[in-house]
Amino acid sequence: MAADVHNQPWESMPSNGCLTAEHLTVERLRIDRAESPTPGLVEGTEPGAGQETAMFVHTQSFEDLTADTEEEAGPESAEGVGPVEEEGPDEEVCPEEEARRSGVREKEEDVTSEAWRAHRKHVFVLSEAGKPIYSRYGTEEALSSTVGVMMALVAFVESDKNAIRSIQGDGYRVVFLRKSPLVLVGVSRGSQSDRELVRELQYVYYQIVSLLTLTQLDHIFKHKQNYDLRRLLSGSEHLTASLLRLLELDPGPLLSAVTCLPLAGAARDTVSASLQHARAPTLVFSILLAGTRLVSLVRRKEQHLHHMDLHLLFNLVGSSSSFREGEGWTPVCLPKFNTAGFFHAHVSYLLPGTPLCLVLVSTDREDFFTLSDCKRRFLERLQKRSAFHALQEALACPTYPVAQVGIPELRHFVYKSKSSGLYTSPELPVPYSSEEEQERLMCLYQQLHSRLHHPTRPLRSIYRCTHTENLFAWVTSGFELYLCFSPLGTKAVAVAAVNKLLKWIRKEEDRLFILSPLTY
Amino acid sequence: MTAMRVDAKVVMLGKESVGKTSLVERYVHHRFLVGPYQNTIGAAFVAKPTHVGDKVVTLGIWDTAGSERYEAMSRIYYRGARGAVVCYDLTDSSSFQRARFWVKELQNCEEHCKIYLCGTKNDLIEADRGLRQVDYHDVQDFADEIGAQHFETSSKTGSNVDELFQKVAEDYNSSSFEVMPEEQGVDLGQKKDSYFYACCH
Repeated sequence: MAADVHNQPWESMPSNGCLTAEHLTVERLRIDRAESPTPGLVEGTEPGAGQETAMFVHTQSFEDLTADTEEEAGPESAEGVGPVEEEGPDEEVCPEEEARRSGVREKEEDVTSEAWRAHRKHVFVLSEAGKPIYSRYGTEEALSSTVGVMMALVAFVESDKNAIRSIQGDGYRVVFLRKSPLVLVGVSRGSQSDRELVRELQYVYYQIVSLLTLTQLDHIFKHKQNYDLRRLLSGSEHLTASLLRLLELDPGPLLSAVTCLPLAGAARDTVSASLQHARAPTLVFSILLAGTRLVSLVRRKEQHLHHMDLHLLFNLVGSSSSFREGEGWTPVCLPKFNTAGFFHAHVSYLLPGTPLCLVLVSTDREDFFTLSDCKRRFLERLQKRSAFHALQEALACPTYPVAQVGIPELRHFVYKSKSSGLYTSPELPVPYSSEEEQERLMCLYQQLHSRLHHPTRPLRSIYRCTHTENLFAWVTSGFELYLCFSPLGTKAVAVAAVNKLLKWIRKEEDRLFILSPLTY
Repeated sequence: MTAMRVDAKVVMLGKESVGKTSLVERYVHHRFLVGPYQNTIGAAFVAKPTHVGDKVVTLGIWDTAGSERYEAMSRIYYRGARGAVVCYDLTDSSSFQRARFWVKELQNCEEHCKIYLCGTKNDLIEADRGLRQVDYHDVQDFADEIGAQHFETSSKTGSNVDELFQKVAEDYNSSSFEVMPEEQGVDLGQKKDSYFYACCH
């Protein structure tokens, strides 16, 4: 034990008295794993895998599975497998950039203008009666005729007992998602596959459900087919807009995973234990966030949170300044958990001016003061411990440079541990620091992801060279890994890098992942 | 940090974007945040101690969301409230119609709750009188009729904001011996709504 500690100078060891039973288990686990003959290739033993049970529902739900089979019949363009020479970088269109910078003006855009047409991705939500509910750009009123055409297309195909999935032409891809009583339409000029677009539309759909519940949505449209849903959704447009940005820039939704704030394992265990201690009878999930990074999640036994619900919570908290004013108390539906009812979330920042936000999810809407007291107890307990200091220090560097890994050709990577549903990724280096470049890299990862998870011809690994970077992706039953190298690297370098990287992640897993999730 | 003790529950009601959050922000934090409008999600709670004579009264202020989406939830925020600040935008006559709705709701459900009608964005009126859409005297007459107090405030300049909440605290103080204070927190007698279902995964 002592020797083990000396070998790991990066880890800040707990102060006296804080060495919990959980911590000892983690230590032992790590030693066991290091001796494993095939580390990382089997689910549950890969770097970052939690002990015992996972925090998330990571198996695909019925819905996900049916969506996949639907896709099989979809018009996925057939391409060769293996190394592919890639086209040059996408050209950026200026009007889109300008519009994006001025988020408020997006809604006032003229829908007949060229700038409006030039947007890379449009998202529309309409009711089955053909009423516009949401448009990413421009006002909904101005789009009633466009939306009418969309609904006509959907209805025309359906009248023949069929379903429209996508239309392609003129460099555009139009994807339809039918989620009664809503219809969602995505129009994209980018290189995304139908599957990726459908996934994004699903998020938008669940975003709406999380505000209203499906029960309420069904009820409304059953009684009044031409109801204007914008009345109930008013003020939520910025949530959907920021969700769409999140989907374009964050690998989390793509990988069905969330990422953690790097924090010494012992400190994280103390935070988790403090959360566990501040329980209440109606409490189901206690979630501590730092921006879009998870610090700790404690849940009721037998209840699992779906990563999608967690992303919706991240987005709700992150895009609303209103929670900074005081203690927030809001009904929230976690649609992947249950589309029928509301949970009630107590949302509060731990200290003013920090990104640490505590979300306490309860079943009882009368329980605000009980949860407020839970928060107080949690904070009191945590502040007495040295872990609080470690946590505040960790906030100063919420990410790490890829140079820490020690592979010069490696620019960036995303590693997901399948059994824990968590991923880790370093900060984006210089060539990808602008938002456009970040989005482009994400697009490349998405393309690799689509290839690996192709419904009929899935791949285990793929290596791809472009003018600007070399990419390598590998999926096993235990993990999923995406790497980005400088274009001067070779395939041999990439393969060697994988082993080195996996070793590094194993060494750092205590800091990068939540190895010992707790329940109440 | 000690346990929160709240004397008087105060609820902010009114149409969305009339400036309920700005009003609370001005009163509690003495500031006015300029920037794009952001609606409140659900409701936000803040406790603010204030001096009334030589006593300290802590107001527990519920800043509710104006969106229709949360209307079904509003009952839990005004239940047992000792004061309700019903806000309307002086430059938007429809917001006053909405204020009337909230007054009716309070009269029906919370007869012990004192009502404070609060016109917001007075600085806009001072800059351009033509923007006024809600007449001062009409509101005063309405206030007299329902036995409410009436204020016109500006969260931007701070005008009349402290006065409004000071009045709420004073009214609570002078009436606190008349009405039994309601216990905050969980009401065990209340039938629990079955919002929670077993996980089906």
